[in-house]
Amino acid sequence: MSPAAALSRPAASSSAAPLPALRGEPHLELRGLGLRRGDRWLVRGLDLVVPRGAFVAVVGPSGVGKSSFLSAIAGLLAPAEGEIVCRCAHGHAHHPAEPELQCRTGIIFQQNLLTPNVSVLTNTLAGRLGRHSAWRTLFGFPRADREAAYRILCDLGLGAHVHRWSCQTSGGEQQRTAIARALLQEPELYLADEPVSALDAYLTGRVLGLLRQEAREHGRTVLCVLHNAELVDRFADLVLSFDPGDATNWKVREVRK
Amino acid sequence: MSRSAPPGNAEPQLGPVSSAPASSAPASPSPASASLPPAPPGPGPASLPPGPPSPPAQPPPPPRINVFTVTLAAFALGAIASWPALRGSGRDLDTWGNLTRFVGHFFPPDWSVWRETLHALGETFQIAILATVFATILSLPLAALGARTLAPTWVVAPARLLMNFARTVPSLVWALFGVAIVGANPLAGVVALTLYSLGYLGKFFSDAFESVDAEVARGLSALGANRVQAFQYGLWPHAKPLIASHVLWMLEYNLRAASIIGYVGAGGLGAQLAAYYEYFAWDKVATVLIFILALVTLLDLLGEWVRRRITASLGVRR
Repeated sequence: MSPAAALSRPAASSSAAPLPALRGEPHLELRGLGLRRGDRWLVRGLDLVVPRGAFVAVVGPSGVGKSSFLSAIAGLLAPAEGEIVCRCAHGHAHHPAEPELQCRTGIIFQQNLLTPNVSVLTNTLAGRLGRHSAWRTLFGFPRADREAAYRILCDLGLGAHVHRWSCQTSGGEQQRTAIARALLQEPELYLADEPVSALDAYLTGRVLGLLRQEAREHGRTVLCVLHNAELVDRFADLVLSFDPGDATNWKVREVRK
Repeated sequence: MSRSAPPGNAEPQLGPVSSAPASSAPASPSPASASLPPAPPGPGPASLPPGPPSPPAQPPPPPRINVFTVTLAAFALGAIASWPALRGSGRDLDTWGNLTRFVGHFFPPDWSVWRETLHALGETFQIAILATVFATILSLPLAALGARTLAPTWVVAPARLLMNFARTVPSLVWALFGVAIVGANPLAGVVALTLYSLGYLGKFFSDAFESVDAEVARGLSALGANRVQAFQYGLWPHAKPLIASHVLWMLEYNLRAASIIGYVGAGGLGAQLAAYYEYFAWDKVATVLIFILALVTLLDLLGEWVRRRITASLGVRR
């Protein structure tokens, strides 16, 4: 076992003490997780317990499997080996593909995945679909949802664009719409795949600050793919890095503030 | 949602890739910092990691045989094989004289029948529009069942078969069915064209549902939306412009079809046309044709305008 693997285990019996940031109520447990794309292993033997309310930055070069890792946690990609267990707030353990867990997982997709000819507001409201029946959402959303969505959109500087189609907004605005959708969902777990790739420095700070606030104040765990080392140091509690050369050589380190 | 592609980028790796899938070597002796670097752009050429072997100067030519060229060749062969159809009767006919004489019968058009023509035209329009509305409503669920992205295969196959059947039977034959069921009146025309349009619209809508990007709908499912919600908020908006365009086309088609089915008694202009044809009243036929032409042109212009508005609003797509 690699030294890093031993380090990542909170209950490791070795001399390495568990990282302080890994203490706390466990939210996400990865046990011997292995992911593969075709015949290539992306990651193997990943043992990690993510505590509730942690901001985890997922880093590594392009193509190393960061997005696949998030997909596996979202239940969109079946792991080749090992298992993923997610404990929801009242203690029930779930496997990722279970529907009751999907409403509690907010995903910011790398390609945003917005509906182009639908308003920014409706795209944002789609984050609340999991809370209502199909009948309730057949002719629109409850007023409370619309107001909450509008508040979040204003917060992200999109207040003037709520009724524009998302395809009529800029790339950065689309990315913020996708972020607003995840925020409106108020999930227990955020999976953010490069959520700030199209944003300027100010908005990057604002969005990551919001996610950080979600983690700190509401105990919502954040798993976020980031490329910028400075942002990682500024916002993350933990850094999970993958190695393109060796699938077993994943590492977890704590960010010292 | 049985499976879905990971949202990750699938671009091939640039750095040195380990050729074998990571063997289960018990320990990696090297410390973390000594592992392979993620190939940053080094300051000098000496520090660059060994890249892939240098490619040839020219890109490889694209394959000559593809679906397009094969289809083209098949068409050419088919055209050559079909040549005998152009032989005609083989007799030496005065083709030009025949044409001018026959066309001459149509002119000048006999405008005296404008009142009954207008009345029949109104009826034709009623038949066409009702058939299009009913067919649109009925074909939406049928199309959802016939879309491979929405329904399981054992449902798709019979649904598609049903639509193919509805399309295969010509509208005039459907009109015969209609007349047999409800008698010789406009209702027969509505029934006939509804059934006929069901085949077309069902297929068009199925194709529209299949052709739009289902990725968004899958994404919404991953956020907890159920199937109906994922369809309504993720797929339907994509398909809506296509569907509107197809409905307009169907209305146009039904208008033309509704002016023929009267031939077998299913209401509209066809009955009038049949009567004039029966008595070789070609000048009156000309009037009817001009009325149909005017209506179809009007509808075409309107449809074109609406379609342009729809596509223009989508034109700003990323």
